[in-house]
Amino acid sequence: MKIRALVLLGTVAAVCLLLLTLQMRGHIAGASDALAIVTTPVQSVLARVNKATVGLWSTYRDWKNVRAENRRLREETQQLRVDALRVTETIEENQRLRRLLALKESMPLATLSGEVIAREWGGWVRSLTVNRGRADRVTRLTAVIGPDGLIGRVVDVRPGASIVQVLTDPTSTVGAHAVRTRTQGIVEGEPRGTLRFKYMARDGSGIQVGDVVVTSGLGGLFPGGIPIGRVRTIDDRGSALFSYAQVTPAVDFARIDEVLLLTGGAARDVAASFRTDG
Amino acid sequence: MRAFLAIAVLGGGVAHATVGSALRIADVAPDIPLIVVVLLALRRGPEFGCGAGFVAGLLQDAATGGLLGVQALTKAVIGFGIGALGGRLRVSQPLVQVPGLVVLSLLEGLARFGLLQLFHFPAPFGELMVYVVLPQALYNGFLGAALVLALAWAETARSRPS
Repeated sequence: MKIRALVLLGTVAAVCLLLLTLQMRGHIAGASDALAIVTTPVQSVLARVNKATVGLWSTYRDWKNVRAENRRLREETQQLRVDALRVTETIEENQRLRRLLALKESMPLATLSGEVIAREWGGWVRSLTVNRGRADRVTRLTAVIGPDGLIGRVVDVRPGASIVQVLTDPTSTVGAHAVRTRTQGIVEGEPRGTLRFKYMARDGSGIQVGDVVVTSGLGGLFPGGIPIGRVRTIDDRGSALFSYAQVTPAVDFARIDEVLLLTGGAARDVAASFRTDG
Repeated sequence: MRAFLAIAVLGGGVAHATVGSALRIADVAPDIPLIVVVLLALRRGPEFGCGAGFVAGLLQDAATGGLLGVQALTKAVIGFGIGALGGRLRVSQPLVQVPGLVVLSLLEGLARFGLLQLFHFPAPFGELMVYVVLPQALYNGFLGAALVLALAWAETARSRPS
């Protein structure tokens, strides 16, 4: 057994050395070709199997990568949407605050900026809660304005907040006049959330749709010249003592987030601080 | 069984040039025929190891376009040696398998280099060892051990009564 194995090893070694020697001397160039006849087809099959397997594996890996990438992109898209919303929100807030700041700087009266922290929008009461209160020396009946015009007045002052009665509150009344005709009257809130301008019929024959209505400054509660709204329709009641005009508010009360409280009194006309085009 | 052995030897010899490249890690490919020869020699003894090494090596030589007979001789010697020593080695332990295959691969590399020196092989010894033989030897060690474990697991699974 051992001798047979050693003989085999010796034979193999001799064959190999012979092969090598003959090759080096260039005698058996055909030996490689003969072996290639056997090996090449096997190699081709193996290469094909290998290619198919690698292809399958690559496809699986690609699919897995695509899935992972898809998930990552979805998350990224979500995050970008949130970021975009945040940016839009910030831009809008920035614009609002810029307008408020511009108004604050142009106002000839002392003002205090405040942020709306709550809204009461039922038909009975229409009010806003602002984060300025007794601690900020806010007093009752302080006028509250926004960049577009009059919002209302403070009706209740609390330690850290104030309740602002909005113009559209059914119990709200403000002395006003039409800018073009100087017709005096009162702007009243209505239960359905609209405004109407009540004026003496004989004085208001010249009022037209589109006329701007501003605070009159009479009564000392609100400074004069603060925009209230524009005449939308005129309700001519013939021989009645008073006529009424529906007014579209200058301020969108549902979208107010920041306000200015006029803490410096109401003695002056502030019309110059507002752009009314009317 | 004989067919399986033939496929293992022949396939192992030829597969190195094709499938082996798929197993390449950082430009280092394992010497699959060497692993196959070692595993077969351990089970079947020196004669089979010698024959398998010769055939696998010869096919590898032919498939890779090298000098015919170089790997045939080195693998035949390795197969013979392992087949003869197999009974005295405790090769069921991975701690033996990995370094064992590494050492065998290094020996095969040294033998191949020595043989090629007879035919004026130009590559410097140090570079060949550091960049070719040693990395391949390490790879062979781990791949061979994994293969041994896989075979052992397959045998256990097959012998378990269903």
